[in-house]
Amino acid sequence: MTARAREAWAGYAFAAPTLLLLGVFVLLPLGGAMVISLQETNGFGDGTFVGLDNYQRLVQDPVFWRATLNTALYTVLVTPAAMAIGLGLALLLDSALPARGALRSVLILPMAISGVATALMGVLIFDENSGFLTEVARAMGLPQVDWQTHGPAAFASVVIMTLWWRVGFNMLIYLAGLQGVAHELYEAARLDGANAWQRLRHVTVPQLSNQSFFLVILNIIYSFQVFDIVFVMTGGGPERATTVLVTYAYDTGFVTRDQGYAAAIGVVLLAVTLVVTALRWRAQRRREETE
Amino acid sequence: MRLSRRSFLAALGAAATPAALGGCAGFSTGSGSSTAEGTLSFTTWGTDAELAALRSAISAFEAANDGASVELNAVPYEQMFTNIDAQLQAGNPPDVFRVPYYTFGSYAGRDQLLDLTPHLSDGFADRFTPQAWAAVQNGGSPYGVPHHTDTSVILYDVQALADAGIDSVPQTLEEAWTWEEFADVARRLKESLPSDQSPFAYNWQGNGVTRWLSWLFEADGRFLEEDLVTPAIDSDAGAAAVEFTTSFFRDGLVPRNNSISSSTYAADSWFAGTVPMVFAGAFLIPDAEATYEREWAATFPPRDERSAGDFGGNALVGTAQTEQPELVARFLEFVTEAEQMREFCAGSSLLPTRADLVEEGIEFDVRPELSPVFLQQSSAVLPQDSGQVASPDMSSIITVLQDGLEASFLGDADVETTLATLSDGIEAATQ
Repeated sequence: MTARAREAWAGYAFAAPTLLLLGVFVLLPLGGAMVISLQETNGFGDGTFVGLDNYQRLVQDPVFWRATLNTALYTVLVTPAAMAIGLGLALLLDSALPARGALRSVLILPMAISGVATALMGVLIFDENSGFLTEVARAMGLPQVDWQTHGPAAFASVVIMTLWWRVGFNMLIYLAGLQGVAHELYEAARLDGANAWQRLRHVTVPQLSNQSFFLVILNIIYSFQVFDIVFVMTGGGPERATTVLVTYAYDTGFVTRDQGYAAAIGVVLLAVTLVVTALRWRAQRRREETE
Repeated sequence: MRLSRRSFLAALGAAATPAALGGCAGFSTGSGSSTAEGTLSFTTWGTDAELAALRSAISAFEAANDGASVELNAVPYEQMFTNIDAQLQAGNPPDVFRVPYYTFGSYAGRDQLLDLTPHLSDGFADRFTPQAWAAVQNGGSPYGVPHHTDTSVILYDVQALADAGIDSVPQTLEEAWTWEEFADVARRLKESLPSDQSPFAYNWQGNGVTRWLSWLFEADGRFLEEDLVTPAIDSDAGAAAVEFTTSFFRDGLVPRNNSISSSTYAADSWFAGTVPMVFAGAFLIPDAEATYEREWAATFPPRDERSAGDFGGNALVGTAQTEQPELVARFLEFVTEAEQMREFCAGSSLLPTRADLVEEGIEFDVRPELSPVFLQQSSAVLPQDSGQVASPDMSSIITVLQDGLEASFLGDADVETTLATLSDGIEAATQ
């Protein structure tokens, strides 16, 4: 065996445990889900092969389209907002702010809390009879918001809780990026007469483009996979106003036991995630080539 | 009854399912014996009181049957059915498990449960009330035993009703308010309450949507014909039930967030002081006694053409894959003996399914004076009502009811549209 071949074998040997785990716990179930998506099955016994029937049903299912629209809207709202707030906080905490170490910890803390616990806090805050926000509005004589029974308000409550949960992570990535921005660039900009906004717009933001790119992809993927916050806070209601693809797949698979159909929803979700990932790869390659 | 939405936590455990299969499954260790010897695995969830009563019943069973033992596997409700489903699919389910009546049909109708017909003693069915026995039938055969039931009555804040000038409440099932009288009581309460409170809350959140059916039954309606396939909801009774329950929201008689998909349960609204009346099952009594700070009592839900109620509670079932069907049947018979059922129901604030216990009555350990209200109310459930909820398609019908009723309660769907949506949805679900 040549040295090259030996090295290759050693490489495979090192990669083998990970590949095995990926194969058994990711690839195999994914393949299984694709097979199930071509069946009509309630989960017990063998399913009946129905070809693309489940996918045809998806096209004609208004709840699926509502869930898709909600998921897309959620992604479009959460991704830029989480990044913008994360960047703002990172800039604040990168400056000479008193107690910034403590503040950084406080902002990152939500990351350590599970989505379920976050959502349960959301329930306490947004309960429209006795929640924290309702009590505050009452005490201050402000108009009440129907956080649970008005579709757009319920959607907003889910977005707000997600932001609370996710902003810390965005801030952390930006904060790390800011440490790498050369101070000479700011000095040069100042000498050229750039004001604070211009320095942010033309120095900081371009210098953080790698972090922004990473966060866009990650936020989109996380948003498409949102489940726990929606499930606990709103149950997809009122009137499906907050139903997203994963909660719909869960309801279909585990409540009504239409598991073939639920698998089809899952496969669509996988396809969307793969497209986003492919776009990311392509864009990254192009950037590397230009650099 | 806890609701399925909360069962999402099971999803968190899904990754651990392979471990759970080994660790929690309670593998059947039977040797195919048809005698009393062998070990049964029994998976259930339960409150502390329920589990204590079950453990006591198991000890008594083991003492009465030499060589027989039962391994109790108590799991959180949130994990119960994703685990059971995974175990059934993997071919290593427990011998016995506990299942709500509205989920029973989805297992029985898919050949996952043990047909008890050849294994039960003669006359076994006679020990139960007809409505309880109807709740465990599939295709005319028993696939489980009705272990206990529960039904909803009205829990009310005594002072709040007095403040509204409501000095007396129905004392017997026959005296129950009519729908009109109940609406009148609610309106009087509304006038006397601060603007941030509502008269009552109804416990139809999540899978509790099956409790909406009580209104349909009170109007003497059905949602399925006797074949349990043909939709029957598009009827005068259906229209009356949809119209009356939608008026709760239109007239501000319930909080807006008392709708079906709400994360705020009816009991939460009552405990928070948002409503002075709540429809609740007997299982809530210990919590209410420990938590509700004002004087409270119970009375009967309203009636229309007749009184009716939800047949809540759980059955115990054997799995079709068990190797010890005789021992399973013997155990199921034992835990539904009068003494076992009395102890279980009294300690857990639940209602018996045995006709003799219903006849002679039981006394809850907590607030025993309320037992007759719940017992009388449970007699308002007819076999034809509980039999429909045992439909194998109930899980799908629940989703249809949730979407259809929510659109009527919070949206602008009129009665005709709602009934058509429900009827079409039920038809699709039963195909």
